[in-house]
Amino acid sequence: MMRILRKPRSAILLALVVFMSTTTGAPFSVAEIREPDGLWTGPMQGQTPSTLNGARLIDLAGLVALLPQQPVLIDVGPAQKKPKDLPRDRLWLPTHRSIPGAAWFPGAGAAVLEPAKERIFFRRLEELTGGDRSKSLVIFCRPACWGSWNAGKRLVARGYSRVHWFPGGITEWQEAHDVREVTPERGWGPER
Amino acid sequence: MLRISRRTFALGIIGTCCLSFTPTIAIAQADREREERWQQLVSYLFDDREVVPTDTLIKIEAPARAQDAALVPITLTMPEKDKIKSVYLVIDDNPIPLAAHVTFGPAADAGSLRLRVRIDTYTNVHAVAETKEGQLYSAVAFVKASGGCSAPSGPSDLEAMKGMGEMRLKLSEPSQQGNPTAATLMIRHPNFTGMQMNQLTRLYTPPRYIEKMTVTYGDQTVLDVAGDISLSTNPAIGFNFVSDGRQSMKVVASDNKGGRWERAFDVSANN
Repeated sequence: MMRILRKPRSAILLALVVFMSTTTGAPFSVAEIREPDGLWTGPMQGQTPSTLNGARLIDLAGLVALLPQQPVLIDVGPAQKKPKDLPRDRLWLPTHRSIPGAAWFPGAGAAVLEPAKERIFFRRLEELTGGDRSKSLVIFCRPACWGSWNAGKRLVARGYSRVHWFPGGITEWQEAHDVREVTPERGWGPER
Repeated sequence: MLRISRRTFALGIIGTCCLSFTPTIAIAQADREREERWQQLVSYLFDDREVVPTDTLIKIEAPARAQDAALVPITLTMPEKDKIKSVYLVIDDNPIPLAAHVTFGPAADAGSLRLRVRIDTYTNVHAVAETKEGQLYSAVAFVKASGGCSAPSGPSDLEAMKGMGEMRLKLSEPSQQGNPTAATLMIRHPNFTGMQMNQLTRLYTPPRYIEKMTVTYGDQTVLDVAGDISLSTNPAIGFNFVSDGRQSMKVVASDNKGGRWERAFDVSANN
């Protein structure tokens, strides 16, 4: 279904999908969000496209089917940010639960990533994939999160050939499976 | 023809067994992590005092799945109400886990308490009762909710702060002498968490929340409420009090930014 859409043809394909879904009466979202050319620079929370050029969109069943291949799971959900003027006597103790085995890079889907951070991200990905660019990757955060879309885009551009984007993310996963506490990847730092 | 050596077959059997056990193990680990989190919170919030699980001293009622993560109704029941001094509500996985600490005064009927809270993620919610003898007992409920702490509170901060401090008190039945009367107190207040981002300016609204509420009946205290950011916008608290049919009820509320509001309500029987 959601195969890789090559850019020049994507508009035609989209038109075809619209045509087919209207003729067959299948439900189709009217407010389809188009893929930006590069990284998304708008608000990180909001409706995302249903495609990511160069990557494959998967749902929970798709992820479960993929798990035996031991894909690298990459959570880019933001870390809770401590409010600036929180009274000091308040216990601030954020926790982040994710898909078991996920590597957490909070905020790695930001439109602008410091060069140092980007280097750490790519280096860690090298380690996690054992340098194999054709290793399956699964990128996620939560629904309506552009962060995972951007991070997927980054990895496609980096040359990874099996990038899976799981927009349902932790929310969809924890409907059927349990989650595990994770801490940000070493060297990445806790910031959003 | 498929030829399977004995060794492969044996490995296959072992593999199948391991696979079939994996989910159970994963869930057990997840539960253990949640328990560890709770023990960590106990040590922070209760100074390592022992908190004993109970089926009788306090009960918690919460929706298994919240319709609105920013407005989750919680009901606490304390059947042996005369033993109870105060109750704590702790939302384990909220970044600021303690939602409220409510101390009952002499004019209170500590049999039940109702609150509305924000829940940020799928989490255990613990209710802890402190007895007059100083012991702590807990009950727990698991709630599925997402994003309650960061949910925007309205079109703008100014809009959300309109009428801040206005109060309403609803009595669910006419108060009769000697019987506990159920009351619901509502105060208009955004109760900003500090985690709500304005999508246009991309700035976080600073935390501003009801820190303290005191309810008195005549010259006796009904409740002392220590609140926090996990209370919903326009905090509402349901409680019971012992009416003598004559006195008026007074509420004093204050927030962490120096806001202070006061209001007296006529709750007499012939009202």
